[in-house]
Order: sequence, then C-alpha cells, then structure tokens
Amino acid sequence: MTETILFYVFAVLAVIFAIGVVAFRNPVTSAMNMALCFAATAGILFGLGAQFLGIVQIIVYAGAILVLFLFVVMMLDLKNEETPNFIANLCGVVVAAIFAAMVTSVAIHLPGACTCCEGDQPALAAQDDTPVLGGALPELKPEAAAQVMQHVTGQEQPAMNSIPDTKLLGIALFSKYSIAFTILSFGLLAGAVGAVALSRKLRKD
Amino acid sequence: MMNNLPWLFLLLPLVVAAIDWLCFSKCPRTAATLSILSAAATFALCCHLLFCGGACTPDAYNWLPCGGDAAKGLSMGLLLDDLALRMMLVVTGIGTLVHIFSVGYMKGDTSNLSRYFAGLSIFMFSMSTIVLADNLVMTFIGWEMVGFSSYLLIGHWFHKDSAADAAKKAFITNRVGDFGFLIGILMTAGAFGTLQFAGMGAVSAQVAPAVLTAVVLFLFCGAVGKSAQFPLHVWLPDAMEGPTPVSALIHAATMVAAGVYMLVRLQVSMGAGAFTETAATVIASVGAITAVMAAIIATQQDDIKRVLAYSTLSQLGYMVMAVGLLAGEAAMFHLYTHAWFKALLFLGAGAVIVCCHHEQDIWKMGGLAKRMPLTVLCFILGTAALIAIPGTSGFFSKEAILDAALEKSPVFFYIGAGVAALTTFYMTRLCLVAFLGKARDHGAEHAKEASAWMLLPLIILAVMAVIAGYGFVADELVPFAGFHAHGMEIGTPFFVSLGALVIGLLAAVIVYGCGKRSQDPLAGNCISTALRKRLYIDCFYDKVVIGFFQDKLLAGIIEGVDTALIRGILVQGLAWATSRVGKLLSWIQGGSLRGYALVTGLGLVVVVFLFVFFHQF
Amino acid sequence: MITLAHYLILSGILFAIGLAGVLIRKNIIVVFMCLEMMLSAANVALVAFSRAQGTHGLPVYDGQVMALFVVGIAAAEVAIGLALIVCMFRARRTVESTALNTMKD
Repeated sequence: MTETILFYVFAVLAVIFAIGVVAFRNPVTSAMNMALCFAATAGILFGLGAQFLGIVQIIVYAGAILVLFLFVVMMLDLKNEETPNFIANLCGVVVAAIFAAMVTSVAIHLPGACTCCEGDQPALAAQDDTPVLGGALPELKPEAAAQVMQHVTGQEQPAMNSIPDTKLLGIALFSKYSIAFTILSFGLLAGAVGAVALSRKLRKD
Repeated sequence: MMNNLPWLFLLLPLVVAAIDWLCFSKCPRTAATLSILSAAATFALCCHLLFCGGACTPDAYNWLPCGGDAAKGLSMGLLLDDLALRMMLVVTGIGTLVHIFSVGYMKGDTSNLSRYFAGLSIFMFSMSTIVLADNLVMTFIGWEMVGFSSYLLIGHWFHKDSAADAAKKAFITNRVGDFGFLIGILMTAGAFGTLQFAGMGAVSAQVAPAVLTAVVLFLFCGAVGKSAQFPLHVWLPDAMEGPTPVSALIHAATMVAAGVYMLVRLQVSMGAGAFTETAATVIASVGAITAVMAAIIATQQDDIKRVLAYSTLSQLGYMVMAVGLLAGEAAMFHLYTHAWFKALLFLGAGAVIVCCHHEQDIWKMGGLAKRMPLTVLCFILGTAALIAIPGTSGFFSKEAILDAALEKSPVFFYIGAGVAALTTFYMTRLCLVAFLGKARDHGAEHAKEASAWMLLPLIILAVMAVIAGYGFVADELVPFAGFHAHGMEIGTPFFVSLGALVIGLLAAVIVYGCGKRSQDPLAGNCISTALRKRLYIDCFYDKVVIGFFQDKLLAGIIEGVDTALIRGILVQGLAWATSRVGKLLSWIQGGSLRGYALVTGLGLVVVVFLFVFFHQF
Repeated sequence: MITLAHYLILSGILFAIGLAGVLIRKNIIVVFMCLEMMLSAANVALVAFSRAQGTHGLPVYDGQVMALFVVGIAAAEVAIGLALIVCMFRARRTVESTALNTMKD
C-alpha cells in the first residue's frame, strides 16, 4: 500500500515537473524543473528496486547534467523566449498526445493488465518460469540473489533481507557486458574530447 | 582468275580515283596519266571481252545472305551480256576520249586538277557499276554514286556560286527521283521476290498488272530524275556549270542515259509484257513532253552549252518515248548514236569555248569557221548527225524510233517529227550564228585552232558520229542483244523526217541568214522571254515548291512542331514541370529546424503505430 | 497494486511531454533538456521491464544495464550537444531554433 501511494506521489510529481520544463519560458526555471523531475523519476526507480540506477539518476542527471545546463544557460545569458506560435504548439501537443495515447493503449492491453480479465492473473502467475507482463510485478527474493552471489563468488553468502542490487548489476556489467561497457567508456572519452575541441575558440590562422 | 577479270571494270577506276585523290593531289600530271590509263585499260578490257574473249562468268560476291536462299539475299555480281558489254564500250570509249580531251581543256586551269581526274575516275567506277550490275540494289548503289560524282564534277569550280548551286540542284533534284526509285526497288523485291535481273522474267507473268504498273512507274521515277525527264529536268541545263568535258561525258553521253539503260534493262529482264499499257503510256508521254518542251526552249538559248543541254533533254525524251513504245532496241540504238554525236558536240563546244577564251554566248562568237576549220567541221558533222541528215548515224537511230512510233501510235510519231524539225532549227541557228559571219567579240577574233589533245578525240568522235549507224558497225556495237540495223528504207518515216529536216533548215536560214545579224531577230517578244526563262518552270519550282511548300508550309509545320512539341512541351515543359514540382516540394525543405523536428515526431508516431498496432499484418 | 502497465503509462506520458517540448520550444537548450527527459522516461520503461521480466525472484539485469548505458550516452551527448550550442551561439548570437534555417540555402 505504501508502495502504491509513493508511486502515485512520485509519478504525479514527475509529470508536473516535466510539464513545468516545457511550460516555463525562463530556461533557468526549466532547468530547475528538470532537476526535480529527475529526482521524482529516481524515486520511481527506487520503487522498482533499482537502487543503483536511482542513485545514478540523481547523481548524473540531476547533478552533472543539470549543472552543465545551468552553466551554459548562465554563460550565454539568455533572455526569455518570445511568444510561441500557437499552431506549432498545437501540432507538437497533438503529436505528443497521440504518442502517449498509443503507449497507454499498449500498456493497458498487456496480457493480464486489464481489470476485466483479472481472473486470468493467477493462472498466468502460476507458471513460475514464464515472465508475466501484465498483473502485479513479481516478488523479489533475497535468497535467490544469495544463490547467484554464491555461484559467482564461490563462497557461502550470509542471509540477506534485501537484494544487493549494485552487486548484481556490477556482476552483469563486468561479465556479460564488459565489452559493451568498455566501448561506452570510450564513447564517453570521445564525448569529453569532442566537447573540449568544439568549445575551444578557433584560432584565426 | 581470268574469270574475274571483269571486276577490273569497277576496281581499276575506283583504286585510281583513291590514288589520285590521296597520293597525287599535288601532282595533277601523274593523276591525269593514271586516270587516262585506267580508262584506256577498261576500254581495252571491254574490247577484249567483246571481240576476243568468250563468255565468262565472274564470281558473285554474296553480300547480304538472307534466309539461306541465295536468290533471296543480296549478292554483288556482274552481268556480262551484250546489252551491258556494249554499253560499257560506249561508256569506256567516250570516257577515254573525254579524259584525253580534258588534258587539253583544263590546261591552264588553276583549280585542283587531281580532284577533277579523281572525280572522272569515280564516275567511271559508278557508271560501270550501273551498267554491269546484275541486280537492282547494285544498280542503285551505282546510281547514287554517279549522282555523287556528278555533284563533285558540276561543282568542280565550287568557288563560283552558280556552280555550287547547280551541283546542289542536280543532287537534290536527283534525290526526288531516287526516292521513287528506292520505293520501286522495294516493291520489286516484294512483287517479284528477287532483285536479280536474271530471275525477274520468270515471275513477271504471275504478278498482278496493277502491281506491275506501280513497280515500273516507281522505277521510272529514278529514270525521270537521272535522265532529266519532264518534272525533274531542271537540273540538267544548270549542270552545264561544270567543265565542258564533264558535260560531254556525264550530262550528255553516259550518265543521263543511265535512266534509259535501266528502263531497257528492266524491259529486257522482266519482258516487254511487264510494261503494262498504263505504264508504257505514261513513260512515252513523259518522254514526248520532255522532247517537245526542251526542243522549244532550246530555240531561244544563247549559251552554246545550254542549247546542247536542252538538245540532250530533247533527245533523252526521244529515248524514253521509245522505251514507252516498247521499242527498247530503238531506244538503245539512239542512246548509242546519241552518245557519240552528243559527246562530239559537247567536246566541240568545249574546244570552241576554250579557243574563244571561255566565251559561251553564241552571239559573241561568229566567223569561227575560218579560224578553226577542223573543230568546226567536226562540230558540223555532229550537228548533221543530231539533225538526222540521211547517211549519218543519228538518221538511222531516229528513223528507228519514228518507225516504232508509227507502228504503235501515230501521235507520238508526229510529235517526234515535230521535235526533229525543231532540232534542226535550233542546231542550224547555233551553227549559223556561231560559225559564219564576222567575229562579234574579242574572244572570237583571236580564236585559234584547238590543240592536238582536243582535236584527236574530236576527230575520232566525228568518225563515229557518221558511221556508227551503218549496219556493219551498229550490229556489232549497239547495246542490244541481237540488234539489226535496218538500212535506208524509203517510206513514210523517211519522207516525214526529211520534210522536218528541210523545214527546220529553211526556217533557220530564213530567220538567221548567213550569220550577218548581230542579235536574235526572234528575241524581244513575250514568247521568247518565256522560252529564255525556261517556260518559267524553274521559276515555278523556286516560288511555289521551294518558296511556298518548302519555306512556308513545310518549314512552318516543322517550326510549329519544333516550337510547340520539342521546345514547348519537351524542353520548356519538362523544365516547367520540374520547377513546379520542385517549388511544390520545397516547403518541406524549409530549412526550419522545428519543421524537421515536427516531421520527425510524426514519423516516430507513424512508425510506432505501424510496428505495434499493425504487427499482426 | 502497481503493475507494469502503470510504469509504462508513466514512462509514455513523460516521453510524450518531452516530445511535446522538443516540438514546441524554440530555445534549443530547453529542447535539449526535453531530450534528456525523453531518455530518462525510456529508462523508467527499461527498468520496469527488467523488473517485470524477472523470474526466480530477481530482476533481469539486462534492462538495468541498458538503462545504465543510456545514462552514459546521455552524459556524453550532453557534453557534445552543449559544446555545439555554445559554438552556435558564438556564430549566431542566438540559441533560437527558428534561427537555424540555413539548411535550405
């Protein structure tokens, strides 16, 4: 029950702040709204049990990226936007609304998600191995995590009362995805170098 | 090997022409020597084949095999029957004499003589191709080649505008006839299934008369162009712009006779029955019209070469008329005698022109009989043959035609007689004015006897002009198989033609006296003007056919098509459509980032929609 | 009870708001912010799927790894993108997307 309330609170906050990003004319205000929106999103991620990603969301998005934005906004000393074009706005809103409607339509038609077919839900959940998209999210079991840890480390694991999310993510990242992770690192390096090269003032010669 | 000797008729002049043109263009003496030697060699070869050699059949070159059937495909072979070989004798004989005469005539000429002699050799090659061809396609090739060499030689002095125009006129007028000829050849191929002369006779009986008429008349179109018959005769008088030996060889003796030769060749190979009554009547009428019209125009011409040109037209009309009267042997007989005496007349005229310092107006000559008696004597002999004084070659051949005409249709007989009287009148006028009386201009005063280069051919031709008609010569030489010259028969044709001769002579002597007059007493009235303007036929072509049909109507239509279709729709229309479509689509490429973002967003929505909601399809 | 559908709808709404922002706003920095929001909305969906697909009591970490990569790429993208915006501002003295219409020339 607490989870449900928290989800709705964070979701509403995220949507409100997201709207704020789009609606406010002052870029600084937009940036602050974005930070809050990301914070609320981080809350959602916590609710999903992805603690590490929630932290990353706050540190990277709400911290680093936001600071960068604010730097640039203040460096360029921007004025408020002029009055927007109504028709262009309408087009944008309509496209976005269609998109949202489509995603919603997909979501509520997931098997077992519809309230009218809630009777099917136990049948679906009963098959333990097959993932069930609709219905309640599967329970997290700390002892399963302990088994995985024991398999990886080869050592007896102490009993856990929550899932060691960061450890498991790290195991995936540095085993199955180590090459992709390395490539991503190079991407980040290239981004940093590119940013320096781009923002450097061109010499006249 | 010896079998294929006749191919030299074609190859020798062709090779010599190429050598003249390519190797000796700066060395006219060598070129002239080579050309004369090649002409003499072909003449010798011709004599050899006629009198010493037996029949020989040169290999045919299978040119365009088609359908595995030799008769259906096109081959290039030589047909060495009496008709062809004796015609070759005339062509190469006169050709050789003209080559020799040219050396004297062109002496001191500043133009490129190698080009001239190369042209003559090309002509010999082309004419031999026509004469020796064993199928219509080869005839056509030679036909076009003689047109080309005629163009080259008429336009030899191309720096003169009149010569260049005359060359063009000859070429283009011939194209009109050749178009019909080509259609005729194709129709022949369709109707007879073969283009070989040898195979036509067998099938001609099975061809429908209407088709036969069409075939013959279309083929006759070619003859109308090449032999300068009535609607297309306009090029021949203008062709006199070329050097006089060329006029003698090409535009009097041989090339213009090719049309007649071709018709007779068809008559022989298809059989006289192939010339249906309609076709024969049309051919005879065209010949008769040409003969009368040309003879009338000739009476008021002042240029010595033009008089001879119209006389040639008139005589060609005679021959064509004879063909139309189904008297091929008479046509060929006249062709043969006419070749000798008309070549003689032209070469004589050429000698006169050279000796009078290139003066061609007979009213500026006069008294030449005293200054160049030998030349004038030869010319007079030629004239005698032309006006058919009994005992000369022209008399026999004209008699043959008149006989045939009297036999078939009296109308043509009296037309022929009238033309004979006119012929006598204008030739006598020419001789009286040019040779008697006093010199009327400087050129004539200082005239001297022609050089030996010119006299030799003249004398040979004069001898031929007199004796060629007698049976002992004609039976051997007339280009018609099994020809028998008939001697002097006293009958209606004899008296009529004698009467025509006397009338013409008397009229000319009464009107022109003995060359004392200094201008034409008949000139000045409207008839004379009309005759001097060539009955306004050239004028009509110029104004109506060229000025209206070609320059206004045809050019207008073509211009309209060009403007509306090509330029308007195809070029400008395409450009217009492209630019319109471009403008139409250019708003998409507005360059606005937000526009692109919007389109991208829409695209995203559409893609997701298709992927998710149409997944099952 | 919170199901996968809830998370997906939230993710879709956030994404749509971001999309609307990209389409509506003229200030290119704000457009960029909205892009980041779209990425983060996608992250929510990824993590939700990772959880929902989980069996044996553990989430499928592939989804989370993917989300982590998205965060990394977003960081690099922001670095480059902001540098580009600074360059553009230097060249044109503006960051309005309506000024970016030289592509048609």
